[in-house]
Amino acid sequence: MTAVAAPDRPRRRTRVPAVVWAFLAVPALVELAMVFWPALNSFYLSFTEWNGLGAAKPIGLDNFRNLASDDVFRGAFENNVIWAVGFGGLSVLGGLALAVALNRPRRGVGLYRSAIYLPMVFSLAVTGLFWRVQYQPDGTINTFLGAIGLESLEKQWLANPDTALYAVLIAAVWRQVGYVMVLYLAGLKSTDPTLDDASAVDGASAWQRFRFVTWPQLRGVNTVVFAVTVIDSLRTFDIVWAMTQGGPYHSSELLSTYMFQQGFTFLNLGYASAIAVVIFALALIFIITYLVRATKEEAA
Amino acid sequence: MISAPLSRRGFLAGLGGVGAAALLGACATGSDDSSGTAASSTLTLQSSLSDPDPKAALTKVVEGYTKNKTTLNTIAIETFRAQLPTYLNSGNPPDVLTWYAGSVARDYASKGFLLDVSDLWAGDGPCANFSPALKELSTADGKQIFIPTNYYWWGVFYRKSAFQEWGVEVPATWDEFIAVCKTIKGKGVPPLSMGTGSTPWVASGWFDYLNLRVNGAEFHRDLLAGKHSFDGPEVKAVMEHYRQLVEYIDPKGRSYSWQDAVTPLASKKAGMYLIGAFITSAVPQDSVDDLDFFRVPIIDPSVPVAEEAPTDGYFASAKSRNVAGAKDLLAYLASAPAQQQFIELAKSSNLPTSPTVDTSKFSPLVQKGITLLNESKAITQFFNRDSSDELQTTADTALTKFLDAPGDVGKILTEWQASAKKVLGS
Repeated sequence: MTAVAAPDRPRRRTRVPAVVWAFLAVPALVELAMVFWPALNSFYLSFTEWNGLGAAKPIGLDNFRNLASDDVFRGAFENNVIWAVGFGGLSVLGGLALAVALNRPRRGVGLYRSAIYLPMVFSLAVTGLFWRVQYQPDGTINTFLGAIGLESLEKQWLANPDTALYAVLIAAVWRQVGYVMVLYLAGLKSTDPTLDDASAVDGASAWQRFRFVTWPQLRGVNTVVFAVTVIDSLRTFDIVWAMTQGGPYHSSELLSTYMFQQGFTFLNLGYASAIAVVIFALALIFIITYLVRATKEEAA
Repeated sequence: MISAPLSRRGFLAGLGGVGAAALLGACATGSDDSSGTAASSTLTLQSSLSDPDPKAALTKVVEGYTKNKTTLNTIAIETFRAQLPTYLNSGNPPDVLTWYAGSVARDYASKGFLLDVSDLWAGDGPCANFSPALKELSTADGKQIFIPTNYYWWGVFYRKSAFQEWGVEVPATWDEFIAVCKTIKGKGVPPLSMGTGSTPWVASGWFDYLNLRVNGAEFHRDLLAGKHSFDGPEVKAVMEHYRQLVEYIDPKGRSYSWQDAVTPLASKKAGMYLIGAFITSAVPQDSVDDLDFFRVPIIDPSVPVAEEAPTDGYFASAKSRNVAGAKDLLAYLASAPAQQQFIELAKSSNLPTSPTVDTSKFSPLVQKGITLLNESKAITQFFNRDSSDELQTTADTALTKFLDAPGDVGKILTEWQASAKKVLGS
C-alpha cells in the first residue's frame, strides 16, 4: 500500500526509533508463540495420527479422506449449515427489529432494552442448563402447551432427533438477540436523524425510510454483525454440549462438538485437528468473501 | 515498509531492554527449578474423585499416610480422563493415580506407562489375599499393574414398600420379570426407569446384562474385544429380549440423566431401575432404607451367572521418580484400614477388595451386594471399561436409536457393527 502511495509524496517520514521496534517485537513474539505456533501445529497434526502419546505419525491426507466418508461428520456439517443460517438469520432479524422498535426514546424503553440484553450476561453453559429445565418432559414449555389445550404438540424436545437441534437453536438465539440489538442500537444512534426527517417530509413511508435511508447508513455495523455472527455460529459449542452433547444419536452434533468428542474423549487428536482445519477454512471463506465484497462496495 | 536507520543510542537502549527481559526470564525459570528439585521427594497422588464425599474421604485417608510427604491433586473427572495420557507421558508424572481396572488399565500397560507392582501381590504383600478374579483383572502380560481398592455391583433396584403396595413379588426368572412389569404397568406406573438423556451409557446396562444372561460372560468379553459381530445371531437374540422391555420403560427417561431418573423411582412413579450401587447417593436419605435390589433375572439356566462389578483403584506411573515411595503409598491405600476408612467416609455403597475388612457393620443392602457377587461365576466391568470410551459411544448411538425405533433393529445392528469395526480397526 505504502509503495503505491510513496512516489508522489515528499520523502519525509517520521522515523520510528529502533527501541520502538524492540518493544513491538515483544508482543509480536508473544502472539507468534501463543497463537500462530499452536495454530500451525494444529495444521500439522491434521496430517498425522496422534493419541497424545509419543510421536505423531504422519499419514498424509488420510484424516481428510476419512472425514469425507464419515456419516457423523457429514451430519454435523449439515447441522452447522442449518445452525449458521438459523442462528445468524434469526438473531440478526430479531436484533434489528428490536433495535428499530426500541430506538426512539419512550417511557420505560431502557427497561426493555436491559431486559432483552440481560440473557447475554449468562454464559452459554448456564443458558443451556436453564433451557434444559424448560424443555424437560414436565417442564414449563410442555406444561404451558398442555394448559392452552395443545397437548398434541407436547414433545420431548431435547430427546427427539427431529427437534433437538432447533430446541438448542432457539435457546442460543434467545441469548444472542440482545447482543445484536445493542450493536444495531449503537449503529442507529450514529445515523443522521435529519435525513430521516427530510424523507418523512417528502412523503416516504416508514418502510421506505428504513430501507432507503436508514439501512444504507448501517453498512459499517452490518460488517461487524456479520463477522460476529459467522464466527459465533461456527464456534458454538458450550450450549450444545450443556443441552444435548450432540445427541440423541448425533442429531444435534455440530462440527465443534464432534471435534471435541474426537479430540478429548477419544484422543484421536489428528482426526480432531482435521475437523478444526475444516472449521477454520469455513470461517475464513465466509469472512474473506464478505470483506472483499464490503470493500469493493465501499470503493465503488 | 517504513524503515529507519538505527541510531547508536536507540540500539543500545534496545539492547538494554532485551537484556533486562532475558534477565527477568532467567529469574522466573530459576525459581521454577528450585521448586522442582524440592518436589521430587514428595509423592503426588492424582485423583479423579471430585465429588464432595469421596474427595473428602480420600483427603482424610491421605492425611493418615505419614511415611512420605504426599500431595493430593484432585481433578474433575472429565478433565482427568482427557489428560490421563498426558499425565502418564510427561517427564515428571504423578507417582500414583486413581483409575479403573480392566481394558483401560491394560491399554496403558501395553504402552509401558504403568509401574509393575507384582511384588505387592506376591508373598505377604498387601494384595496377596485379594480374590483371584481381582488379580486376573489387575494383570497385563503376566504382571500386575493395578491395585484395586473397591468395587460395586449392579442390580434391579426397587422400593420395598412400593412392591408391597402393588402386590408384586421379586422375580427370579425372565417370565416372572415380564409379568411383574405387566402388573406394575396395569397400575398406571411405568415399570422401568432409565435415564438415557444426557447419560446414554445407562442403556448399555440392560444390553450388558441381557448378553451375559443369554450368551454368557466369555462371549460378552469377546464381543467387546471385536471377536464377534454386533449384527450376528447372538446379539440379535439379545435385542429380541431387550425389545420385550421397551414398552415397559418410562419414555420420559429419554430426557433424563441417570440421576434425574432416580426421582420417579424414589417417589414411586416408576417401578424398578437397573443401575449400579451408586444409586444410593442419589436417593433421598429417608427412602434409602426402603431401597432394595434383586439380581437381573435368569434367562437361560445353563449359562453361568455373571454380574457386573466395576472396579476402582490405583496405578503408578512407570516413570515415577520415587518408585519405592509410590509402592509404599499403594500398599497403604490397599490396606484394610485405609479401604474401610475410605468407604465409610465416602458414604458410598462400594465394597472393599480386601477380605480382611470388617464388613459386619456395613448396611444390609451392601451385605446383600457382597453375597450377590460371591455367588456369581464370572465378573465383568461395564461396557466402556471392558472396551473403550469410543466403542461406548457406538453403543450409545445404537441403543438409544433402538429405544426410539425398536422395529429398525436389523438396520441399527448393521450400522453398529460398521461403526464398531471402525473404532476397533483404528
